Parts: sequence; C-alpha cells; structure tokens
Amino acid sequence: MRHLITATVNGRERELSVKSSQTLLDVLRDDLRLKGTHEGCSVGVCGSCTVLVDGKPVSSCLMLASNAEGRDVLTIESLARDGNLDPVQQAFLDRQAFQCGFCTPGMIMAVKGLLNENPKPDEAEVRDYLSGNICRCGTYVEVMAAIEDLTAKPQ
Amino acid sequence: MSAVGSDVPRVDGNAKVSGSAQYTADIELPGMLHARALRSPHPHAKLVSVDVSKAAALPGVIAVVTRDDLEGLNPYYGAVVEDQPVLAIERVRCVGDIVAAVAAEEREIAEEAVELIEVEYEPLPAVFDVVEAAAPGAPIIHEERFETQAAVFREQLNLNAGGNVCSVFRAADGDMDAGFADADEIFENTYRMPPVQHGHIEPHVATAVWESPNRLVVHTPCQNAVGLQEQLARIFDLPESGVRVVVPFVGGGYGGKTHARLEPVTALLARKAGRPVQWVLTREEVFLTGRRYGGFVRMKTGFKRDGTLVAREVEVFYDLGAYALSGPANAKTGSYVASGPYRVPNRRLTTYAVYTNLPPAGPYRGVGVPHVAWAYESEMDRIARHLGMDPLELRLKNLLQEGDIFVTGESLVSVGISDCLRQAATGIGWRGREEQADNASEGSLRRGKGLAVIMKSTTTPTASAASVRLNSDGSVMLLTSSTEIGQGVRTCLAQIVAERLGFPVERVTVSAPDTDVTPYDKSTSSSRTTFHMGNAALRAAEEVREQLLEAGAQALEVDKADLELGAGGVSVRGVPDRSLTIPQLLRVKYGDSVGSIFGSCNFQVKGGLDPKTGKGKAAAFWFFSACAAEVEVDVETGKVRVLDIATSVDVGKAINPLQCWLQNEGSMLEALGAAFFEEMVFEQGQPVNGTLLEYMLPSMEDHPERFQSLLVETPHPDGPFGAKGAGEAVIPAVAPAIGNAVANALGGVNITELPLRPDRIVAALAEREAGVSGEK
Repeated sequence: MRHLITATVNGRERELSVKSSQTLLDVLRDDLRLKGTHEGCSVGVCGSCTVLVDGKPVSSCLMLASNAEGRDVLTIESLARDGNLDPVQQAFLDRQAFQCGFCTPGMIMAVKGLLNENPKPDEAEVRDYLSGNICRCGTYVEVMAAIEDLTAKPQ
Repeated sequence: MSAVGSDVPRVDGNAKVSGSAQYTADIELPGMLHARALRSPHPHAKLVSVDVSKAAALPGVIAVVTRDDLEGLNPYYGAVVEDQPVLAIERVRCVGDIVAAVAAEEREIAEEAVELIEVEYEPLPAVFDVVEAAAPGAPIIHEERFETQAAVFREQLNLNAGGNVCSVFRAADGDMDAGFADADEIFENTYRMPPVQHGHIEPHVATAVWESPNRLVVHTPCQNAVGLQEQLARIFDLPESGVRVVVPFVGGGYGGKTHARLEPVTALLARKAGRPVQWVLTREEVFLTGRRYGGFVRMKTGFKRDGTLVAREVEVFYDLGAYALSGPANAKTGSYVASGPYRVPNRRLTTYAVYTNLPPAGPYRGVGVPHVAWAYESEMDRIARHLGMDPLELRLKNLLQEGDIFVTGESLVSVGISDCLRQAATGIGWRGREEQADNASEGSLRRGKGLAVIMKSTTTPTASAASVRLNSDGSVMLLTSSTEIGQGVRTCLAQIVAERLGFPVERVTVSAPDTDVTPYDKSTSSSRTTFHMGNAALRAAEEVREQLLEAGAQALEVDKADLELGAGGVSVRGVPDRSLTIPQLLRVKYGDSVGSIFGSCNFQVKGGLDPKTGKGKAAAFWFFSACAAEVEVDVETGKVRVLDIATSVDVGKAINPLQCWLQNEGSMLEALGAAFFEEMVFEQGQPVNGTLLEYMLPSMEDHPERFQSLLVETPHPDGPFGAKGAGEAVIPAVAPAIGNAVANALGGVNITELPLRPDRIVAALAEREAGVSGEK
C-alpha cells in the first residue's frame, strides 16, 4: 500500500508516494537519490543513516517514511551552501575527524543535532550524545576536537 | 623535505565531509537489479535438492542461480586453496553458506522469492571447536581440495596436512630438550581468543554487469582489486583482461574486504539476468561472511632465574571456519613470531590452520599475530611476577636487537622495538617493579598498569607497480591499485610523489583502483602499501624527474646535476632566471608543448620461507610496536575502566604523522573492543549475537580517558624515505597490555581467555578466594 505524503526535504517541499513498509532512509536513497546518507546496520545502532528531522537526529533506517508527513528533513547534502562547507563540515575537515568516511555524514548530522540542542556541551555530554554513532576507524578524539573548535568560537 | 613528514590534509577530505563520496551501494546502473540469497541454516549438511521453480515464477524475478548454473565454470575459488564453491554444490559446510541467489526488479521481490525456494538437506555431523576439529576422527569438512594457481603461496605453505588441518607451518631453532634441561623453571599455559568481527560499517557490496559475454565489470569495495580480477577470471574462464574491477570509495576494510566474497555470485546473477545486478549484504549476512580467526595457543617456556628466556615451544590452532581464504598464509605469519620479539635460543613454533563448521574467517588487522601476542605477553608478566622482576626490565633483557639473526635465519633491520617499549611505558608513568606489587586500596576499585610489545612481518615476497603521468600543465596523476580504505593511502602516496618532484601535494592526484587502467598490486593488506607502493611511486616519479632534468640539461646546456626541479619547472641551481617551465620542457622533449611524460616502476621484494625448514626471508620489513595501559577494575562488578593508554610504533619514517596517529588510534580502539567485549558467539554453529544490536562495537563512550599515539622513527634502508608500515602495528599489543594491567590491578589474577568480560573477572577473583588460583 502506498501513501501520499508531503515533507520538506533539504528546504524543498516534496510530495512523495511512499510504501507502508518503506523507511525514510530508503526514500532518501532510492527515490530522492540522496546517497550521502548511508546504511550500516539497519537496526538503528550504528548511526550512519542519521538525518535531522525537525532539527533532531534520527536514525532514518528506523523511521517509516510515512511518519515524515509534515516534517522537516535535513540530510548531509543540505549543509554546504554556494560551495562553502557548513562550519561542522569544515571543523571535521580541519581536524581530519574521519578515515574511511562512511559514518561521517551521519556523525556530522548528529553533531548538528547536538549543537542545536546544546551549544556548549562538555566532554561527557559529547560522548553520551554521540555514543550512537559508531566510527570503526576509531576517529573519536578528532571528532571531539572538532566539536571543541566549534564551541570555543564566539557564537 | 616538505611534503614528506608533515600533516598534509587528506586529499579525499572534502568528498567525505560533503557526502559526495560515492561508495559502491551509491552506484545505480540503468536496468540494475537487486540480489538476495538463500543461505544454509545448517552448519554441515548434504544438499539433497534445490527447487527454485516457484521463486523463478514470481513476477519481477529476472534470474535465480543454484549449483545447476555452475556448468562450464571453474566453480571453486580461494586465495590459497580453491575450496569454496561459488554456490553450495554437494553440501553446505557452515550456517550462511550460499545455496541459491535471486536477482529481481526490487529488493522486496528478491526477498519474497528467496522465501519460495525449497531445499532439502540431510544433516551431517559437524565440528566447531578448533582443537577438536584438528584431532583424528573429527567429521571431515573438505573431502578433497584443489590448490590455487597463486604459485607464490602454494610453494611456501605446507598444504593438505590431512584431516581438517588445512596447513601447518613450523619455525625452529636450537635443541628443545637441551633448552628445557638448561632452564631453571618452566611455565606452561594455554590461551584462547574468540572470533571477532571486522566491523566495517559499510557492508560487503558489489555491482556487476556483463558488457558482453566475454567482458565482466565489477564495482566493489575490495582491498585487492587485482586478486579479485584474477579469481573472477578463473571462475568464469576469461582472460584477466576480460574482467574489470573498479573500486569506489571504501567504507572500511580492516582486512575484511581482501578476498572475493559476494562478487562471484553477483557476477553469476548478472550473467544469467543479462542486466546489472547489485548485491548489498545485510548486517546479519556480514556476520556470516568474514571474521577474525578464533585461536587456541599452547605455550611452554623455559627461563633462567635471572629472567633469560632459554626455550619456548608453541602450538597455535587458528580456526578458519568452513573455507581457507588466506588462512594458511596468515597462520604462517603467526608461526615465526610465536615466541615473541625475544631472543630465544631454543624454540619450536608450530601453527595449524584448521577447518571448522563455522562461517569462514579471514585476514583481520594483525592476522595471526594478536593470538600469539596475547599468549606470549601474558606469559612475560607471569614470569616477571614469579621472579620479582620489573616486567619492563624482563622484556628489555630479552628483546631482539638490530642485526640479530631471527628464527627464520634473516638478519633484523630497523629494530626500534626497545625504544617503542620504553616510550610507551614512560607515556603512562611506568614506575618499575612496584607495578606488580600488592595493590590494596579502599573500596572496590583497584588500579594497575600493564605493558606489551610485539613484532610482525609484512607479507613477502610481493610486488607493487605504479605509473606517474605528468601532464603539460604540470599536474600529476599517480596510477595505482592501492585501495584507500580510510588509512590515508591516497594522501601518503601523493606526498611521496610530490616530494620527489618538488611539487606541491595539491598537484598530485592519486587514482582509485581500476584494473583496466591501474597496474598490478599484490593487495592493500599487511601494512605493506607505504613501503611497497610508496617505493613504486617514488621510483616512477624519479623516472619523470630524470626526463625533465635531461630535457632541461639539453636546452639550458648545463649538466643535469646543476639543475633543480620545482613547482615552476627546471632551473639552474642558484640562477633562478635560467629556467624552463613544464610546457617548455615538453617542447624540448617532443617538439610540442603538449603531451605527457610517463614514469613507471614495478617494485618487487624477493624472499619467502622454505616450508620445510621455516628458513629464508620472512619480511621485506618488520614492524614493531608497544602498548602500555592503566586500568581501574571494580572487583565487585568486574567492570574495567581504561584510564590511560599509550601506543608506540616504529614507523621508520612518518610520511604523514597525523595519519599515523589515526591508524594507531583506530587499531587501539578495535583491539580495545576485542579485549573487553567483542566476541562472536556460536551455539552448535548458529550465530547467537549476529547483529549490531547484540554485538557491540566501541563507541565514543568506550574511548579511553587518555590516549597517546607515540612514534619511533628508525629509518629502514629500503623504505621510501625510510618508511615502513603502520596500519596493523598497534593491534596485537593492546589486549595483552590491558590484560597485564588488569592482572596487576588484581595482584596477579591472570585471565587467559579473551574478552575480559566482567563475569570472567569476577569468576577469576572468586577462584582465587577459593584458593584454586589459576596462577602457575
């Protein structure tokens, strides 16, 4: 069965015909061809598929697309503007806070969510908030350093 | 030097933070179908019948393949032993063996079709424990095997040892009887290490399309594009040039993407369907597709009262699972280092690679070394405690030194191991003998520090080829089959080429592997790329440089030696206005200002070991590392917190110190997971924790409170700018350092089986309370 939903994806209002069983991740990747959001575990524990829904990080592999009705969805592709990276992307780049890069879009979106909620997180809050975003290359120290760079800057 | 030795930013960074990096699953080809497989639910069974008629009839299903579709192919493949069928033929040998596969218009249709396949199995006796599997009378898993065409491996391994023992490798020195007779004391213990997951977040995935009946194109995140090309060519009876393997961005490998895994079936489906097919494994399937070998180690050590090691006998059993992959080669890598990086005059070191009815293992960062390091470094601390010696001093007393003749008969070069150990120990504030003193403190928390030190070889003999193309605008392309798996190889190779040409790094682009274009490489494994491909790239760049200097010498009428090459072109040393730009140099060389200049190199390292004697040259280079850790153990709950951890690696020369740091940080975290909680659990061959819900990978919360990645630079005479490898160096040292820290925190309670789960720690403490301590 299909549903017609309306959702805002990366700032553009979309009318989408989605199957009942389809996840938000599948709609983003298969229908909208936003391939920057990655699938790692399919059970919501690795964080690679993290996107922002109404400003909050969500595992898009667990969210049914039909539940995106009326919501505002942001993926990694929304961040860079006019060829300029978002400050979070730039901080990741400056700190080389990635290796293989597969978890990176999800990690960056989770950091966006963190800073939306808490502009000055301490280290314990960072570790707790990002514990659902697994980087098997192990580049956690650099992610923490990137966040420190971002929060140290005057707002 | 400017490009080499500095933290040059990653050349692939922008693509990775912007989300534009294209991984294999992001590729969509016109008309592409999606694959799903039916896998065996039995660990060992005869395959009586497979009926796919209902599945094939489902609308949207384009192709279904079974053993009946292997007609006319070479159906068995493998890197060392051709023991794995593309699809199960007469039997299944593990849970997860692929019995049939479907390609359909949509993933859901493929899934539904798989449900409609009817299979009849006749269960066979199975064996899961590696020691039981090696014993006479165990159920035989492979009735017959065929060795591969890969002559390098075949000639250097003792294959077909009999029963389920796929291979045996032995290295030896001296006289065991005399050695143990000479010892004041003898310790004998056993150690175990469970299988663990590689944990690459990108699952195995492949996209295959046949351009014509004689031309197969596969996109896959493979660490070994040329090896895969060779295997696919052999399966489908094509010339190697009939197979094109293209490697997009790779979402982590750690060894898990070194060998053909799902590509043969994907290619078979695409051939039958006549359309492109993409297969992305589910995470449950990844758990059935690769893992680290489980291992069992028996170790007997004879030593003098002053701490001198005099004899060591080691037997190691590596559990291959149902198929060998590179297991025999990896078991060989464990054999000659099984007595550790120590001078031991009398030793007999034997490793067995053994089939079991578990899903196949394969190379994982460190291959066979973590198993033996866990044993020999735990033993060193037990011996130190027994003798009342400082564990650091005991190690330093016995460590190998520059120029020592190793058990393989080769002289050791670039041996920075003592420096690594001292540096790591200093990094956590090691105090000496008192680290093993009784550690009574208030409450339930106990602190302890531990050390470990290791050595590992890189696979030898091997070759790597590269070519460098200089364009008329002065930009440079390095063509290489080395795979960027996150380790920064593109950046490192760009630095090496830029350094040799005197160009800025940004001018050098490094290709991804594409076997139509990029030359031969043995594989991106064994920490070999910086050394081997780095050498090839350096020499290829040197050829380009020579041609530019020759053209400059001709046009400027000076000796080549008086010229220098830099970003702007060639100039006379000290006379910058006597210079020629790159287009001008091309005009001198070709009579035209366009075109390109090529340089190439096929870098080969000879060597290898005689399988009968274990003697020869095991390694193009050896790498050395140490780890020191401080932990806090809660004796009531058995929970351990890592307060401080320092790793030190002798990298020869750090081409990019930051990327070395990242390699060491990643190795440390993977090893930390395996030390504390990672283990694949099977019951009667069935996976118990085969998803990422039940199998935890280290998260940011598990990252130690303090971590230092330290480097030692003992230049290697054959390395590019003195560099060796770093990718795997840290991993084998971490678990024993943590294990020793835990043992020291608990006043000498040794746990011999990984991981160091809280229940094991609590049980070991209870055992000591009961007066039956496991301590020798």
